Amino acid sequence: MGESLSFVQHFEIWLRAYLILSLFSFLYRDNVFYKLSEHIFAGLSAGYYVGLIWQTVIIQQLVNPMVDNGHWWLVFPGILGVLMFTRLIPKWSWVSRVSLAFVIGNTAGIYIISSLHGLIFPQVASTILSLDTGNGFAGTLLALLVVVGVISTLIYFYFSKEHTGLLGATARVGIWFIMIAFGAHFGYTVMGRISLLIGRAEFLYYEWGGSLSQIF
Amino acid sequence: MGFWENIQHIDRRWIYLLVAIAVFFPMIVVMHFPIEITPEARQLYEAIDALPNGSVVMLTFDYYPSAMAETQPMSIAALRHMFSKDMKVLTLSNIPLGGPSIAERVTREIALEYDKVYGIDFVNLGYKANYVAVMHGLASSIESIFPSDYSGTPLRDLPMMKHVKNYRDIEFIFVVADNATVDYWISIVNAQYGKPVGSGVTAVVAPKMYSFVDAGQMTGLLGGMKGAAEYERMVDISGSAIRGMDAQSLVHLLVIFFVIVGNLGFFMSRGKDGR
Repeated sequence: MGESLSFVQHFEIWLRAYLILSLFSFLYRDNVFYKLSEHIFAGLSAGYYVGLIWQTVIIQQLVNPMVDNGHWWLVFPGILGVLMFTRLIPKWSWVSRVSLAFVIGNTAGIYIISSLHGLIFPQVASTILSLDTGNGFAGTLLALLVVVGVISTLIYFYFSKEHTGLLGATARVGIWFIMIAFGAHFGYTVMGRISLLIGRAEFLYYEWGGSLSQIF
Repeated sequence: MGFWENIQHIDRRWIYLLVAIAVFFPMIVVMHFPIEITPEARQLYEAIDALPNGSVVMLTFDYYPSAMAETQPMSIAALRHMFSKDMKVLTLSNIPLGGPSIAERVTREIALEYDKVYGIDFVNLGYKANYVAVMHGLASSIESIFPSDYSGTPLRDLPMMKHVKNYRDIEFIFVVADNATVDYWISIVNAQYGKPVGSGVTAVVAPKMYSFVDAGQMTGLLGGMKGAAEYERMVDISGSAIRGMDAQSLVHLLVIFFVIVGNLGFFMSRGKDGR
């Protein structure tokens, strides 16, 4: 950190460092500094989110188009949105089901298409591989492995018949594939969590350390 | 109580301390662990590099500040790559907290280095709620979803947006995400509108994404800080991901050591108990 920092920049860095160290202090034991930082985070997030939604959705997508462009029909989704608040009044909470019905119907329609067209069909197609992949014996072996893995894992999740005999043996093969997948996920998760720690450590070392060295 | 029994009951705070030392040590003594480029990262780099100079690309900042250590280096490396090829960059975020402001700060910082001008070379659309609706809406009209940019300037007043109306005007979408939005960029924007999508995701999200790459639905993938370091290496910059990989590798070695010692302790203790 070569350039000289202003008072505001120093303050910002020290505030961030205080919050980071307060949250890390939980690793030693629960304490008041940790609780305070946690509450500040929760409160700030909620406040920021409400403000953001008010500006980007209510004002930009509802009020402005109605007032400036005369899109009066937007009053209907606006009413549906207001009806959601009837959930706060027990006697009238049933009215919110009208809005929920619209949201559920709309969402189901969108998600069914995107799931089938964008996820299930392409993924199934990529599982149906030719044994002659053009990558020699290793390619053929991998293609077979994908087929065995998919089928055995699906059978593990087939609960309409007891897992005995051939079905049970195949399901046990499926468990191996599931465990290997869990292992890969866990390894990546460890890597991800360490990365977050490294990010904060780099801030403390380079930025807070830079501020410290300028002050003292 | 012997050594192996003691290992079984060690106070976890000693482990935290060792991890902390392993994280800070490479910042003092630079170690330069090797960084291999994976085929998925190379595929993403080559897809962007193959675009003609001046192409319009979309770069998403779909991540919370908590994931910045992994994802921000990807965004920075991608912006340097894109600006070095004089591409027009359209940024947006499907995450309310952090994403839009990170996009604004990072893009403007990198743009300064390449003498790029806001509104002509890059535009930050900001955030809009309900990303599924946003992704569908951008296909017909960007302006209908984002009437104004992050700062409130109407899109019609931005020169770059006169030629960028919907997905048809965008050559490539680079999704940087720490959550499930990337699934929808694939299942909606790639599958239904045919736009090539590449992604840089946090390590937690990465394993699931490999099936999209294998199926040809995703054009390249960066996974976690390692993926970010790979992209930095290909763009030929020395960023925070490359710097962080020393600590990452050292902590991984430490975790492997803990797993071996923990298991040895378990089996040795079991042998003594006769269980």
